Amino acid sequence: MTHPLKRSVPIVVGLFALMVLAIVLSPLVGSTHINLMRVFDRSIPFESNVDAQIFFIARLPRALAGALVGGTLAAAGVVFQGLLRNPLATPYTLGVSAGASLGAMIAITFGATLPFAGAAPASLAGAMLAVTVVYLLATARHSGLSTTVLLLAGVTLNSFFSALILFVQYLANFQDLFRAMRWLMGNLDVTSYAPLAGAMPFVAISFVAFVWLARPLNLLSLGADAAGARGINVRSVQRTAFFSASLATGAAVSVGGPIGFVGIIVPHLVRLMVGADHRLVLPASIFLGAGFLVVCDVLARTVLSPMELPVGIITAVIGGPFFLWMLLRKR
Amino acid sequence: MDAVAKAMTIRFRHALLIAAVACAVLLQGARTTAAPLRIISLVPAVTEMLYAIGAGPQMIGVSSFDHYPAAVEKLPRLGGLIDPDIERVLTLKPDLVIVYGAKSDMAARLARAQIATFPYDTGALSNVTGTIRALGERLGRQKEANAEATRIEHGLEEVRVRVANQPRYRTLLIFGREAGSLRGIYASGGVGYLHDILSIAGGDDVFSDVKRENIQISAEQVLARMPEAIVELHGAMTPQKIATERGLWSQLPAVPAVKNNRIYLLSDEVLTIPGPRIVDAARLLADALHPTTKK
Amino acid sequence: MLQCHDVVISYGERRILQKVSLSVAARGLVGVLGPNGSGKTTLLKVLSGALTPETGTVTLGGQGLGTFAPSLLARRLAVVPQETHLAFDYSVLEIVLMGRYPHLGPFEFEGPADFASAHAALNATGTDHLAERAFNTLSGGEKQRVVIASALAQLGEGTPDATTAGRVLLLDEPTAALDLRYQLEVAALLGRLHDRQDMTIVLTTHDVQFAARVCSELVLLGDGHVIAQGPPQDVLTTEQIAALYGIRVDQAAMFAATVSAGVRP
Repeated sequence: MTHPLKRSVPIVVGLFALMVLAIVLSPLVGSTHINLMRVFDRSIPFESNVDAQIFFIARLPRALAGALVGGTLAAAGVVFQGLLRNPLATPYTLGVSAGASLGAMIAITFGATLPFAGAAPASLAGAMLAVTVVYLLATARHSGLSTTVLLLAGVTLNSFFSALILFVQYLANFQDLFRAMRWLMGNLDVTSYAPLAGAMPFVAISFVAFVWLARPLNLLSLGADAAGARGINVRSVQRTAFFSASLATGAAVSVGGPIGFVGIIVPHLVRLMVGADHRLVLPASIFLGAGFLVVCDVLARTVLSPMELPVGIITAVIGGPFFLWMLLRKR
Repeated sequence: MDAVAKAMTIRFRHALLIAAVACAVLLQGARTTAAPLRIISLVPAVTEMLYAIGAGPQMIGVSSFDHYPAAVEKLPRLGGLIDPDIERVLTLKPDLVIVYGAKSDMAARLARAQIATFPYDTGALSNVTGTIRALGERLGRQKEANAEATRIEHGLEEVRVRVANQPRYRTLLIFGREAGSLRGIYASGGVGYLHDILSIAGGDDVFSDVKRENIQISAEQVLARMPEAIVELHGAMTPQKIATERGLWSQLPAVPAVKNNRIYLLSDEVLTIPGPRIVDAARLLADALHPTTKK
Repeated sequence: MLQCHDVVISYGERRILQKVSLSVAARGLVGVLGPNGSGKTTLLKVLSGALTPETGTVTLGGQGLGTFAPSLLARRLAVVPQETHLAFDYSVLEIVLMGRYPHLGPFEFEGPADFASAHAALNATGTDHLAERAFNTLSGGEKQRVVIASALAQLGEGTPDATTAGRVLLLDEPTAALDLRYQLEVAALLGRLHDRQDMTIVLTTHDVQFAARVCSELVLLGDGHVIAQGPPQDVLTTEQIAALYGIRVDQAAMFAATVSAGVRP
């Protein structure tokens, strides 16, 4: 009798290899030709080595950002789906992205007058605000985390924050409005490693929680009562899942904007490949999500070159029809 | 008898028809040729043009974004591009409303209320003098409009001559980016009045080949196009913030503009309003790119 | 084995259980019988520790439920809900292996002992042949048997743990959602488990005939009170049935006649 996990381990390893391949190969692809020999030629000072700068400043951080954001969104999607016991949930269902977007909108619109600079920290702060509000709403009447109440609170906050976003956009001048809209479409051109380093601690903390959550999430899919009867502390699992997945989502959105569909199509594809066990679904989703977004970003920067196509549009063009197919297949 | 009657009727009908057409033509003519007395401009650039050709006293309302000339501060503000206050516009009983785009919702609603509109679209630099002359026609101020347009053309020519012997820097003209990083850069493409001004001011747009007014570009494109000068248009900022934002470019040391420290952050509003002050915008750019020619 | 004493539960103003006391003997198969809304499911939740009573106590083997470590309690007491819906496509074997959760450390993977237990549980419930199937593709009766298998694995089926008789299996309306054929399947399975005499089984039901046929002892629960407790033939009298379900005595008499015919010898 083989362990059901063992059968799918080669698939997970394969997805890992694909991710590494995507990260390594994507910096070699682009609208500009670069000479690899020159890129790694140490005798040319970096300041004047254009090939090296294109490789190390323009492309490699993008590849890493794509991997970080894609892997994180896919994993957060898995956790939210497990928490809400709904395969159609996304990392944005509970309002994290609406909060992040509001933060970014404020930073972009009032950026010149605010003491801090940049959409990234502002979006992270907005995400955390949204998470806190949703949690307080969801636990106001009940001691536990009812998924129905959680979902309602998330949907309500989503529309409330969307209204606030419209209000901020109303106050914005034309140019800021334009840039704000573009932020919403996603952009992985980070131009430095700083945004990655900034998001990394949050992602790392969340991933540690995900490792712990993998098995309890399996049992949670039997229902909260059934999981509790098997000795699981359902409340602490739900709380950990909610906060860690929200934190991960907030960090990912602060790096790349609210890129859609990665958090839903990747987990779904992965379940088709490795089954439902979260101990496989989580790592496999991280690898496939990372590889998928890295490839999408290569398209984003090459398809309309020298113009940049928002990566969110590419994931949406691929993800939208896929999502519909999923919905139809369900019925 | 019958035939005669028939012929008479037909002739009579023709006469009626001709009379009706004539009336319509006359009425139509009367409506368009009479110079409008009460003007609302929802476009800041056109507001400036109207004042420049002496139509200032006829102005009865402007957009929320109008700040120049100072006289506009006393006029009612009627909203902006996306949210014009149509009710207040109607209450003011204008003869002519300057709107963005002939196909806009605003234009359609004003047409329904039988109020004449003058549609405006930003475009190439030649559009500025073109619009001024068209306004002159419409308002019966051809003389003033021609004088103003000629003044602008001479002013621009003066700038062109001033920098004629200077090296033409390959220039990256940036309309906006994320504060605190080099992300989300919006740059000028190969069309539009700012692209044209840059050319007059002695710079060659590095994205001249892209036939669009503005494009989002990546850091890779900055490295690939290797601009010799970078001009950024910003909102008002403290000197400290300007220094921080300029310093960010050191992340791309291979770019000649960074190497030679030819990075200019300009925040004057004349750069974003394609009106009569466009000459000042051209001077500003020329002063930045070719400081030795500054007068 | 499992006892509760003077348990009170209310939702807001409404009292669901009013001073319910109950004692379940080891190795018994006890049915909690009552009409809809009588508090059966609430009582089962109290007995499983999912619900802590406002007043009163619940003990397992003499020890208060609240004093057990969650995983230790789970190893001795398993619950089978009325229906199980899965959001994701787990296989039957995976579902049964989930029963092993309280036997494993936080990051531990299932080992040979867990597989042995899962297979013993599949075997005991006659679901071996379904092991590789997706749970969501099973019939209602098959699902119920698989969930029972998962509960058995949780209680240590096929391991030395199972030889101690201090294990309790709680089932909430195990047949309510099933049609007759599957009701019979599940009833037969419960009978087999009871015959093994290595665990205590408590189930709730509103079906008088099912209760009479399967259970060795019945608790009649009406409106949050225990009306009667004892062997089916003693408890299911015409008067008791009439009182419990609020029906006329002549209607209840017909019921009592058919019931006594089906009572386990």
